[in-house]
Amino acid sequence: MYRPLMHSPELLKGTLQTILLKVLKDNGKMYGYEITQKVKELSLGRILLTEGALYPALHKLEAEGLLQTETVLMGKRVRKYYTITVTGKSLVKERVTEFREFIRTMSAVLQVQIA
Amino acid sequence: MPQLTTEHINYIIKDLHYRGLVYEPLQNELVDHICSSVETEMEQGKKFIEAYQEVLKSFGHTKGLRETQRQTIHSENSIFKAMLKNYLTIALRNLRKQSFYSVINITGLAVGIASCLVIVLYIFNELSYDKHNANAGRIYRIDSEILFNGNHLQMVTASAPMGPAIKETYPEVEQMTRIREEGTMLIKRSIDNIRETNVVYADSTVFSVFTIPLISGNPKTALVEPNTLVLSESTANKLFPNNEDPIGQSLILDNKHNYKITGVYKDIPRESHFHFSMMLSMESLKDSKNDEWLSHNFVTYLLLRDGASAQELEGKFPKLIDIHVTPMLKQMLGPEVDMDAFLQAGNKLDYTLRPLLDIHLYSDLSGEFEPNSDITYVYLFGAVALFILLIACINFMNLSTARSANRAKEVGMRKVMGSLRLHLVNQFLMESILLSLFSFVIALLLAYLAMPFFNDLAGKQISIPWTNPVFILIVFAVSILIGIFAGTYPAFFLSAFRPINVLKGNMALGMKSGLIRSGLVVFQFSISIILIIGTFTVQQQLSYIQQKKIGFNKDQVIVIQDAYAMGDQLQSFKDEVLKNAAITNGSISGFLPVAGTSRNDNVYWPEGTDPSQNNMVSLQVWSVDQDYVSTLGMEIMEGRNFSLDFPSDSGAVIMNEAALKMFNFTEDPVGKKIATFGGGMGADGKPNTVSFEVIGSLKDFHFESLKQSITPVALFLRRSTSRISFRFEANNTQDVINTIQSTWAQMAPGQPFQYTFLDQAFGEMYDSEQRLGKIFAVFAGLAILIASLGLFALTSFTAEQRNKEIGIRKVLGASVSSIVVLLSKEFGKLIIVAFILSVPIAWYAVNWWLESYMYKVEVGVIVYLLAGLASFLIAWLTMGFQSMKAASSNPIDALRSE
Repeated sequence: MYRPLMHSPELLKGTLQTILLKVLKDNGKMYGYEITQKVKELSLGRILLTEGALYPALHKLEAEGLLQTETVLMGKRVRKYYTITVTGKSLVKERVTEFREFIRTMSAVLQVQIA
Repeated sequence: MPQLTTEHINYIIKDLHYRGLVYEPLQNELVDHICSSVETEMEQGKKFIEAYQEVLKSFGHTKGLRETQRQTIHSENSIFKAMLKNYLTIALRNLRKQSFYSVINITGLAVGIASCLVIVLYIFNELSYDKHNANAGRIYRIDSEILFNGNHLQMVTASAPMGPAIKETYPEVEQMTRIREEGTMLIKRSIDNIRETNVVYADSTVFSVFTIPLISGNPKTALVEPNTLVLSESTANKLFPNNEDPIGQSLILDNKHNYKITGVYKDIPRESHFHFSMMLSMESLKDSKNDEWLSHNFVTYLLLRDGASAQELEGKFPKLIDIHVTPMLKQMLGPEVDMDAFLQAGNKLDYTLRPLLDIHLYSDLSGEFEPNSDITYVYLFGAVALFILLIACINFMNLSTARSANRAKEVGMRKVMGSLRLHLVNQFLMESILLSLFSFVIALLLAYLAMPFFNDLAGKQISIPWTNPVFILIVFAVSILIGIFAGTYPAFFLSAFRPINVLKGNMALGMKSGLIRSGLVVFQFSISIILIIGTFTVQQQLSYIQQKKIGFNKDQVIVIQDAYAMGDQLQSFKDEVLKNAAITNGSISGFLPVAGTSRNDNVYWPEGTDPSQNNMVSLQVWSVDQDYVSTLGMEIMEGRNFSLDFPSDSGAVIMNEAALKMFNFTEDPVGKKIATFGGGMGADGKPNTVSFEVIGSLKDFHFESLKQSITPVALFLRRSTSRISFRFEANNTQDVINTIQSTWAQMAPGQPFQYTFLDQAFGEMYDSEQRLGKIFAVFAGLAILIASLGLFALTSFTAEQRNKEIGIRKVLGASVSSIVVLLSKEFGKLIIVAFILSVPIAWYAVNWWLESYMYKVEVGVIVYLLAGLASFLIAWLTMGFQSMKAASSNPIDALRSE
């Protein structure tokens, strides 16, 4: 499979929670596989969430009360949908603002212009 | 999009499970995720199995799956928190389920800890004496030891000129203060006298050596002038109840001396070796300026400079003594005698410096301001505290390991399910810490409730320092430590089980299994038996002292203090009281055969010889009247008592056996004469002497604590008006007191009426022994109680273990008694071993304690046997109850279920 210009997982590490929260806020109810596909689509294939990172993160956010889940039986399969909670929503705003500040700082530090 | 068939999905679920994906919340999700991925792959034309392999690869195969699972669980909750919570839940559940053992465990441990806490507070209190003085570490007292012709004196006093001379001579002495005990005084402002004990004369420097803050008055000048005094705050409040300012006011002491108040000091803290109610200026005392180096009446304290060595200073004393004492020796014993000759004759004149902080626990000399404590009590009680705590901890360990049978299966299951040994150790430690914490809370409560009783028993005022954060912290830390200490052995013991053995059920369980457990039971009971023997011995020695023939009759004698307040009327007071039919005898004398009354001594030699070191005898010189011997019920062996019919009796003396022996008068003593210095020089250049004729000999009687031997005493017919004693014969003591008191009030209005009974005063000499006996008994009882609690639980546990065995035995015809014997036998053996082990230790300890007594009780074999029997009985009763219960139960109940 062709993966154009993949971002390194190291860079992504700190942003995973923000990505998950923002995606869920924008798209409402989603299940795990759907989230990976959505992120892949939004990043033009440059961010591929690995399952090994995704599920621990999702479960952590759920344990912290930022996400809630519902399960739907689909024959033999059980699908678990995630939605963002009210606390989660207020956190998204914060995280996104924080991230914007971070980019600004980074561009100053690294002396690069961001388009 | 192609949909996976049910077979495919089943295959995936099975495969994932096989690869170790077991965490349910994640399992469903990953199955769905993988199915979706596989579907996407298959869309591109791959076959199912190819697609699945591809997806698995992106997950990192088995390893990646497991890692994901691990991380998910980890991120959901902190493992540590979860485990702790789990341990706590299980621990609480276990404690609840085993409530019988938990209650016994907690009770035993709580009682143990409470006792320990009380004792530790007591020890800390004992160690805190005199520490309130800012310069405590640099203050020393001069103790003196004099050995002269068989008379051995160890005193807290030095001579009047010694202190000032030391201060003058040695620059390392920063300050010096002398205190002269005056004892009791009558104090009045205008009309009514009050009685104050603990009155002393003190140098004005007392405030710069000791930390005695003045509430009013100037510490630099307060005691400088003659006829000035300072009062303690409570004395001031007693004399000036209406908030008047005492400064500048006058007081009349003993009805004749007029003193001005120059200061009021804060009451001296309880933890001090002296508690003066008032201090008179040393300037008022003529004796304080004399130059008599051989008269020891002043308690002298030195404040050394920083870094000065007391030992070095002590080494310089002999030279100083030589300079000043030799001239006096020459005058007394003849010109050929000098210091060296004096010492070579086996005499002794030693001065040592005792650190202030050692006084309370180490000093027991004559002339102490108050009876001191003894470091051996601190050790003794420390040991008892440790023992009790050990016994309680052993209970805990024994019960935990004994219960292991019930928990062996739990341990096995846990291990099979993948529990690590560390987890099990944690689990058991958690339980024991929890128990320990519970016990500590209860123990604090118990200690709080028991403190007043203990204070009463020990004559102390100790309180639990609730507000002290250090105390709370220490208690908390110790409770956790004890939890760990008591829990470590069971934790490692239980966690070491091999699951296969446990689950197959072939663990060797029951009492026979635990060699260590048996050892611990033996240890517990050894300690208990030692404590019982100790208690018995202390009680025996005490009753021995009380009942020993002491040479006089201490019962039914009332002693009225400060009789001199009666002034000239004393004789008529005595006659008046004697008119009462219930009162048989009366005697005016301050010298009584109990500690704390007047004492005086002087040297005598047989008349007709020259006084020399070899024939001089140091005698207790007691001034008595002619009714003394009959009032106190002493026994004249030869000769006669003083009598008014013989006017010459003013030159007569009655001596006790010890004195006769010293003079070699044992055969036919009556008519022999003794002489002493009469003061001043005769015309021949020799000192004047006076002589006395022996008119009677007195059976030896004890007049100090039985810790001391009987020393020579001589009675002289002289006035001594500080006390008057009456012997009465009446059942109603109160009537006697009332009669005497009303006569007193009539003849000496305004003078305080203070009395004691002779037997009471006699008992007070053994106050600390009495206390020791009681405290010892209480703690020994507690130790045995805790040990029995443990034994009780252990027996009930064994009985439970052998339930089926007992059932079968009964069905086959065993009698109840044979089963009781069967169950008691194992513990019985342990008690016997404990007895054998404890006897030599107890024997050694008891002899060590009795060594300090001159007259001691013989501790017979019977005491040891009794102690052994007592502990055996206690143990047997404890076990008997459980054994009976087990033996008399219906075997059907035990055998019905399998």
